[in-house]
Amino acid sequence: MKIAARLVLLAVLGGLGLWLWSVLFPSPEKIILKKISSLAATANISAADGTITRAAKASNVVNAFATDAEIVFDVTGVGARTLSGRDEIREAAMGGFASVPSLKVQFLDATAKVSVDKQTAEVTCTAQVSAGDNKDFGIQELRFQFKKIDGDWLITRAETVKTLQ
Amino acid sequence: MVEQTNNPSAESSGRETSWLQMVLIGRRPRTTLLRILVLVSVCAVTFKFVLLPIRVEGISMEPTYHDRRIDCINRLAFLWHEPQRGDVVGIRFSDPGNLTTPRAMLMKRIIGLPGETVSFHDGHAYINGELLDEPYLKFSCDWEHGPIQCGPDQYYVVGDNRSMPFELHMQGRAERDRIVGKVLL
Repeated sequence: MKIAARLVLLAVLGGLGLWLWSVLFPSPEKIILKKISSLAATANISAADGTITRAAKASNVVNAFATDAEIVFDVTGVGARTLSGRDEIREAAMGGFASVPSLKVQFLDATAKVSVDKQTAEVTCTAQVSAGDNKDFGIQELRFQFKKIDGDWLITRAETVKTLQ
Repeated sequence: MVEQTNNPSAESSGRETSWLQMVLIGRRPRTTLLRILVLVSVCAVTFKFVLLPIRVEGISMEPTYHDRRIDCINRLAFLWHEPQRGDVVGIRFSDPGNLTTPRAMLMKRIIGLPGETVSFHDGHAYINGELLDEPYLKFSCDWEHGPIQCGPDQYYVVGDNRSMPFELHMQGRAERDRIVGKVLL
């Protein structure tokens, strides 16, 4: 009985140690998925948010991108557009955030694949976006390219993916 | 030693408790608990991995599937055979081939099978140049589109609501590993 209790205690301690290790030293996949999740949270705008809050949120969104980042949109019914560099992304984010009463963004089913050298990564996810009081939402598959720059994972490219070819 | 009570209210209360107990947890509480555990486990596994509960959002499958309708996707439907023409399927957006349960899916009907050519003329679908009989279509349309060839592992999927403009209707070739399962009802 004593041995069994000791084994259980050992297993619990082992589990606790593993959990603590994963919290203190998260894997690159975990860090990147957290970044993607916080990017979606930053892009959420409520009707109560004023101009300054919206501008600050646009700036925070831009901070997730590398200076030479590129965003390539090609959405059915909306059209195609390419944004190059942080300035263009900031301008588009500020314009977009100012033009909608409210915005809800979620990145669903996100998966991250980190390269062998652990310097680049690719994330695929499904963006669910609803604007204003509209209950209907737009849904779009996205692909992000991440690069580790000065110890921080930044988006170098974001593009829409055609689910149906 | 057996103790007898002469208090009728206590007796009735005891009878009530046992009746309530029998209705709520049965004659054998341990068996009932085991049954509940088995039932919960079976439901959890079924609705997480086999029958995925879904809520239809949007009008692209009208009038067959209305907006906000609740249904299920059967993930085992294509275990023994490949998807067939006419099947209404769930298609995952990201990470094809992944076995995890997607939170968002496309709901479309298969009209073209691997290797076939799909075209639209005067609102009707043609497979390899032959008119496709589609009894489920209720709205007329004027879609015109040249032939699109499906690859060896691609299925041509489209919604039942063809009254929408062709450009606004999400349709096209879906790879086999994006097809999650068949809509149950």
